[in-house]
Amino acid sequence: MTPRISRVFVANRGEIAVRIIRACQELGIETVLAASEPDRDSLPAQMADRVVCIGPAPSVRSYLSVGTIVTAALGTGATAIHPGYGFLAEQPELAQACAENGLIFIGPKAEHIRTMGDKLAARKTVQELGVPVVPGSGLISDFAQVTPMSEEVGFPILLKAAAGGGGKGMKTVYRAEDLATAYGEAAAEARSAFGDDRLYMESFIPNARHIEVQILGDRFGNRVHLLERDCSVQRRYQKLVEEAPARVVSSEVRDQLCQAALRIAESIQYENAGTIEFILDQDKDQFYFLEMNTRIQVEHPVTEMITGVDLVLEQIRVANGDAISFSQQQVSATGHAIECRINAELPDADFRPSPGRITHWSPPEGAGIRVDTHCFAGYTVPPFYDSLLAKLIVIGDTRMEAIKRLQYALANFQVSGIDTTIPFLSSLVERGDFIAGQLNTRWLEEVVRAKGDNQV
Amino acid sequence: MIGTAMDLSEDDVIQIIKYLDESSFSELRLEIGGLKIVVIKRGSQAFIEEADSSAKTQPELTDHSGSLTAQDSPVPPTQPAAQDTPETPPDIEKEIVEDGRFSITSPMLGTFYKAPKPGEPPFVEVGAMVEQDATVCIIEVMKLFSTIKAERRGRIARICAEDGQLVEYRQVLFLLDPPTD
Repeated sequence: MTPRISRVFVANRGEIAVRIIRACQELGIETVLAASEPDRDSLPAQMADRVVCIGPAPSVRSYLSVGTIVTAALGTGATAIHPGYGFLAEQPELAQACAENGLIFIGPKAEHIRTMGDKLAARKTVQELGVPVVPGSGLISDFAQVTPMSEEVGFPILLKAAAGGGGKGMKTVYRAEDLATAYGEAAAEARSAFGDDRLYMESFIPNARHIEVQILGDRFGNRVHLLERDCSVQRRYQKLVEEAPARVVSSEVRDQLCQAALRIAESIQYENAGTIEFILDQDKDQFYFLEMNTRIQVEHPVTEMITGVDLVLEQIRVANGDAISFSQQQVSATGHAIECRINAELPDADFRPSPGRITHWSPPEGAGIRVDTHCFAGYTVPPFYDSLLAKLIVIGDTRMEAIKRLQYALANFQVSGIDTTIPFLSSLVERGDFIAGQLNTRWLEEVVRAKGDNQV
Repeated sequence: MIGTAMDLSEDDVIQIIKYLDESSFSELRLEIGGLKIVVIKRGSQAFIEEADSSAKTQPELTDHSGSLTAQDSPVPPTQPAAQDTPETPPDIEKEIVEDGRFSITSPMLGTFYKAPKPGEPPFVEVGAMVEQDATVCIIEVMKLFSTIKAERRGRIARICAEDGQLVEYRQVLFLLDPPTD
């Protein structure tokens, strides 16, 4: 790799910051980490070549401050910025500011982020390519349209923010009587979360699976897919367990999904890593485009495990101006991988966050086990950010083998000092329906609800 | 760690101040042998109010463990939670501890400018007496310029940041001596 990128500014925290720094270390690239005050002693801070204190704890004054991030990168002689996921990863402003200040953004172009960040515009683009989209409406320009639109789409409906994404700012409406309230709430939440209260509707698909395809593009016009992931185990639209490949998908449908994903990436000349998300209606055996995420995703490790590709490394290579280091032909899946997101939460208390000092931290080890984390014994999980502690990833020759390995790994993941979702996940992956692979995107919430009822 | 006054080094004192700063306590009185130190937290920075260093008499080695009385006063809600300062170089800390100086820290990350414009005289020089509302420097973030005020009366003892260089959030920019009047 001919180096244009000599020093990367890591504009993120937690496990993804560790992940990015590791990839840079492998490439012999220096790292500078942006750290808010409470993160100055974090694991990534200890790993980086240099740490810069960018602001106080609140994200809006630190990790979300475009000006601060760019100034810090320039002031420390960094040549590139990696945004990680979340925070500014999908704000076109950061990618734009990089372009304007001679910094390489390790991700797609600002215009890609902008195009795909507008969920309505993305739906339109994709529809014009002949890829099916989730049945729904266009923009709800005023409240008077809500009722006729809902009649066309048919209940139950999902009200979604046009500027939203990542499972945020969505409301399910089952009956016409609840429309008015839901509309008001959804608009207010969208305004507060995204600064944009435009809404649209989608048909709510009751028996759905969330299947997504990983893609990668470079500046030479090479675009490849790295197969799919099944992320159907979700709670309030946040993924908890992800798998690769998606066993429920036939090889024909897999091919259709991957080709559709490539077609979408091609149409906008997408560069760097991205993911195209689909909803599979299991009742109708039909898949629909949901949205495109223009960043590296939390669950990227399961794809890495089955394909042997280092996605973050490829991101840096591509941003450096090099070609993707492999061809489509070389992409194949070996084995089955499963990832569990381990959070500092207490499932019995409605998944209340549980920050605090970790007194004991002993992750599982062994063949086919990978743990991506920023935690260690003595680390204090701050209350200011998300509750992700670690990603536990396993791989096996078959899905059954992976599950057995996962059960073993969870049983041997010892954490004290804070509450974690490890015991909850342990019992989840012992369940017959999980093992049989019989589930949909509402499955986990139904399991949680049933547990809650049983406890009464 | 802390044994007798003879064992109490500069580093120990800096450590004591750090512990107090990070805790929810607002005052610490330490008496070891003939040495008495009182440390009182003001705002978010601890400094020595009174150090009886004249007690250089030989402490008795056989008896005496340092007696530590800490007074827990409720931290008023307007005070920020105890935060440790960003990596302040030890010589700056030493100046704060030993010479009773106070610091002006940067309220944001950005580029430090000592003068209103390049080529113009700096806002302050070493030795200058500044009033509370005096401008001491400018911090720039992507063409957005913020004027930084002294916030406290004092005499500039040291300029700790370099013109045109990046400064971090809460980095020490200036060291000042409290007014003698």
